[in-house]
Amino acid sequence: MNATAPAAVRAGASADAILGVLPKEVFSPSTVEEAAAVLEEKARASASVGFVGGGTALGLGRPPRRLDAVLRTEHLTRIVEHAPSDQIIVVEAGITLADLQRAVGAHGQRLALDPPLPERRTIGGLLATNGFGPLRTRYGSLRDLIIGVSLVRADGVSAKGGGKVVKNVAGFDLPKMMVGSLGTLGLVATVTFRLHPLPESDVTLVARARTARGVRELASAMRGAQLEPAAVAALLQGQRFDVAIRFEGFPAGVAEQRDRLRQLVGQPPGSDCDVLSEAEARAVWELHDALRTAGPLRAKLAFLPAALDALAEGPLAKLMDALGEPSFVLYPTLGLGFVAGLPKDAALVAQAVESVRGSLAGTGGSLVLEEAPDDVRVHADPWGPPPASFALMRELKDRLDPEGRLNPGRFVGGI
Amino acid sequence: MSVSNAPAVTISRDVVARMSALVGAKNCISNPSDLRTYECDGLTSFRVMPGLVVLPASTAEVVAVVKLAWENGLALVPRGAGTGLSGGALPVPGCVVVALTRMKRILEVDLENGFLRVQPGVANLDVSKHLGPAGTYYAPDPSSQSVCTIGGNVSENSGGAHCLKYGFTSNHVLGARVVLADGTVVDLGGPALDSPGYDLTGIFVGSEGMLGIVTEVVLRMLRKPQATRTFFATFPSTDEAGNAVSSIIASGVVPAAIEMMDGLAMRAAVAATGVDWPDVGASLLMDVDGPLAEVEHTSRHSVELAREAGALEVRIPKDENERALMWKGRKSAFAAVGRISPNYIVQDGVIPRSTIAEVLHEVAELSKKAGLRVANVFHAGDGNLHPLVLYDARVPGQEKAAEELGGAILRLCLRLGGSITGEHGVGAEKVAYMGEMFTEADLETMQRVRCAFDPERRLNPGKVFPTPRLCGDLPGPYVPHPSELSGEATRG
Repeated sequence: MNATAPAAVRAGASADAILGVLPKEVFSPSTVEEAAAVLEEKARASASVGFVGGGTALGLGRPPRRLDAVLRTEHLTRIVEHAPSDQIIVVEAGITLADLQRAVGAHGQRLALDPPLPERRTIGGLLATNGFGPLRTRYGSLRDLIIGVSLVRADGVSAKGGGKVVKNVAGFDLPKMMVGSLGTLGLVATVTFRLHPLPESDVTLVARARTARGVRELASAMRGAQLEPAAVAALLQGQRFDVAIRFEGFPAGVAEQRDRLRQLVGQPPGSDCDVLSEAEARAVWELHDALRTAGPLRAKLAFLPAALDALAEGPLAKLMDALGEPSFVLYPTLGLGFVAGLPKDAALVAQAVESVRGSLAGTGGSLVLEEAPDDVRVHADPWGPPPASFALMRELKDRLDPEGRLNPGRFVGGI
Repeated sequence: MSVSNAPAVTISRDVVARMSALVGAKNCISNPSDLRTYECDGLTSFRVMPGLVVLPASTAEVVAVVKLAWENGLALVPRGAGTGLSGGALPVPGCVVVALTRMKRILEVDLENGFLRVQPGVANLDVSKHLGPAGTYYAPDPSSQSVCTIGGNVSENSGGAHCLKYGFTSNHVLGARVVLADGTVVDLGGPALDSPGYDLTGIFVGSEGMLGIVTEVVLRMLRKPQATRTFFATFPSTDEAGNAVSSIIASGVVPAAIEMMDGLAMRAAVAATGVDWPDVGASLLMDVDGPLAEVEHTSRHSVELAREAGALEVRIPKDENERALMWKGRKSAFAAVGRISPNYIVQDGVIPRSTIAEVLHEVAELSKKAGLRVANVFHAGDGNLHPLVLYDARVPGQEKAAEELGGAILRLCLRLGGSITGEHGVGAEKVAYMGEMFTEADLETMQRVRCAFDPERRLNPGKVFPTPRLCGDLPGPYVPHPSELSGEATRG
């Protein structure tokens, strides 16, 4: 019998609802051991459990089929280990990204991950939803930064995979398995990341008023010229995109890439490819963050980069027409984008969503609703059709959570 | 050391005939003298005769072979070029080895979207060679890359010298077509990112042939960097070399590759390839790559730091040929020790990078006690140590002493918070150490993942996990199945 002190528990209140479903109890364990004890207790009671970190991304997925308890990670905020000379950090899942960055920043390092709302988003929540920002251009996503994970299974048993070193192929890749799994395979308890050095210098440029095709061509041209921007994001402003491009690194390298980009774009200074001051750069990346968190409908698109033009002119234009004050943030080198706005008519928006999905289906692209008002959810499934490998996903879920008690029904295909 | 004493299990003549009909008689190997070629991979001390070897040419043939094996209760062992160093392709008695080497076509190259689709038998280096004219390449570069196959790389999550900056196979595989143990074909992932659902591709890469047989792989291609700068520095000992690495990393440089060799490894390379290296305590071979001005700064700065740390000499190659020769010297190191020792064991431990000096001293102590020499090659950027334990199998007891020394080194890695394998895989070789790196619960969780893909454990049984459970088992303490107690069935 577990001798751990019981985690703080209170009755569920309306603020604890996940997509309108209220839990009976809310637990806020102070340690990973307490969290495991909660899950063990819930396993004995055959109760269903949801997990909440910063609570900023709970709109993702479908409402839970059942929700007896919510486990909050708000007290699981420790830095378990930070080895600056080995460039790794181990943190509890409830720590916010901003707190993590402050801790490693003091040693001249960072986690190369820059999603919006770092002060509120927790590491566990980011992992569960595969959160990312413009740095993904150069550094990849969470799956490329994570080197270890410890989790608590549905049965309350703790397990780990990966390790504390960057190079490690022992055992199956549980860290990657947990990325994007939305709390359906277990509670993420601690995460180990590889860190990168903070760049000595950076510069942001903006190439203004590009069409979708122009954005794609600019991304291609940069690649052709062997430029290596750390971040590229195109922000829709009216009918055209402003493309923000940031170079980072040692000052000589940053300056040279800045100059080569301006030559590439072929514009004299002061025209539509501007080098931004520090304040202007800050403003544009803040605008990016604001657009990334716009709503009340927000859709994440994934597509092959070369398909951008046709997508933008066709089904995507239809979707944007169905939204009031539409916004579009696009990562052209990745083939990822976020469309947001106020649905004018729920059924029309749903139709437009389906038509985008239809056009993406052939090439493996997808559209996922991160946020949507209830009336749109009636007409459009947030995930879209389950992928070809869904039967295997179902098997994986059944093996790790045989009673289907962790976030049941929220995930792809009703998992 | 493991040479199976189990009686060779023969596969029925009928099944052999049917397999032969599926892949063609010359692609179905059943006679014992030909089967010998497949009784081991690059870990030649572990040998087990397979029941049969087939070489299919397409996904459809793989499916047919797998289904026939499934119907007849036969285990399957997938195999690429057979260069693996952990016995991942080691047969089990009575198994069908499925060699993917005939499937070596590059199926699709999409330069605009930055991916290509290849069959598993394509050699790693051939991918980059194919992409070269377009100014792109495939990043993971294990030392055996001229021979090892993409399918093998996927199974082992192969690395190479450039992992610190560019990651491993898993960071460059976007998707795969896999054939499961019962013959079902599933497409995992794909060229577009973030497909909704679980990252099955991420789970599959590095699963050592236990989750499925891959018949197509979607790979990410990268734009070649504008410039690469290399330098080779010699040091009085591994202490100074280790300090040089630490200060370079601490200065904010992310090297593309940084390799350390100790004196013994260097002497071996000189003996084998005639490369013009002096007799010193240690050396570093380092690449930085990226945009030109960035690289010129970081290489200059790194050379300064190497000198400050006590470099005896720094050599900068004057052209691509000289650079290639420097790297050839490094890449020849494993094979080179074969010139200075009748036998050797390669280990593949990982340690936190900052502990390298301490570890090498301890390895020196351990090797002195064992009365054996150890040459060290170290991926200094990411902490992956390759101690080459040298011995002479003709001397009684030396082979055992070498194995024990290898094990002691792995335990040292674990004690310091590292890993038992950085890139070679667990395979058959390191099964015994999994229980020292992971708890029962960790291993049981991984086994559940395996059960989701291959509940009957037909694929590469006996690898990686020390005490596999039957997949129908309920979680809880291990209870042997009645057929195990009666001796009819065996674990793995």
